[in-house]
Amino acid sequence: MSDTVLVAESGRITGSAAARRMRADDVIPAVVYGLGMEPISISVARRDLRQALSGSAGMNTVLDLTVDGNVYPAIIKELQRHPTRRTVSHVDFIQINLSEEIRVHVPLRLEGDAHEVMNNNGLVDPAVDSIEVATTPRLIPDEIVIDISEMTMDSVIRLGDVALPDGVVATGDPESPVVTVLVMRAEVEEIEEADAELAEAAAEGESTADSDAGGEGEAPSGDTAE
Amino acid sequence: MLMPRKVAHRKHHRGRTRGLTKGGSELAFGEYGIQALEPGWLTARQIEAARIAMTRAIKRGGKVWINVFPDKPVTKKPAETRMGSGKGNPEFWVAVVRPGRVLFELSFPNEEQARIAMNKAIQKLPIKARIITREETI
Repeated sequence: MSDTVLVAESGRITGSAAARRMRADDVIPAVVYGLGMEPISISVARRDLRQALSGSAGMNTVLDLTVDGNVYPAIIKELQRHPTRRTVSHVDFIQINLSEEIRVHVPLRLEGDAHEVMNNNGLVDPAVDSIEVATTPRLIPDEIVIDISEMTMDSVIRLGDVALPDGVVATGDPESPVVTVLVMRAEVEEIEEADAELAEAAAEGESTADSDAGGEGEAPSGDTAE
Repeated sequence: MLMPRKVAHRKHHRGRTRGLTKGGSELAFGEYGIQALEPGWLTARQIEAARIAMTRAIKRGGKVWINVFPDKPVTKKPAETRMGSGKGNPEFWVAVVRPGRVLFELSFPNEEQARIAMNKAIQKLPIKARIITREETI
């Protein structure tokens, strides 16, 4: 894994109004901290950040964050997005020691087709979408591939079963499930039940909201009973 | 339909729905999600209708999560009632939704079919919504 250089500028004006103006100019406010350093408020160009994270390691890319000529080896700790625009609104970089172990989440990818599961109307269900691992920054895998072609209806792939590269250790409980197989229920029956429920509710009128007291809302049905 | 088992207060104020969602704007469980783009109230009935539309469209082999819960009671005065005499009776339950909130999540192997199912669910909602996936750009 080669380090990616990301140039950032320090000395940005902090505060929401200034940050808003920066975002309008396609500059993302950010902060870098870690390893005992004083946090530095920085800003990075959106285009540069996109290029830096477009490699195979994605969010786990080890960056050479260059701020005012100083180079900080860093990874992304948190990336905040605008709720509706989905654009990045702030980035937290954490400085790392390249020889020290760190904990990162590595995405999971399922490989192969579980024919036996499919033939029995089952569904391979990944219980997690990433696995937390402890490793040195240089050894962070881009992704963890799990072969599901041998899975049967009663098989469960647990964290302890996942093959990890040398120097990479999963931090979670080895017994925790990573990939399971769901047995499909008769969904049609469920849908019919739900339809019947809706029809029933519609027939009864809209008096279902009165949950705790239940007295006043029930008056119309009481009249009908008489 | 979804509703609280018990509540601290039977009747709520209507309130205002300003601004964007405070949290719940990212996918937490599934591969795809339905995200609200407008503020509004989703009734328990609308949530249920959307869920049924989605599960019916995917038939089998998928998993649906509902991320919103209708915990706000809405009251109504009976028809042809004079004003006054206090607040009306609780009639239905709503979930207050702000833009950005992920309402439903779906896990399904076939993306095309998943999108069809989610579009059907969006049709059942009273607000503008869109489909989001885990693949996102910077």
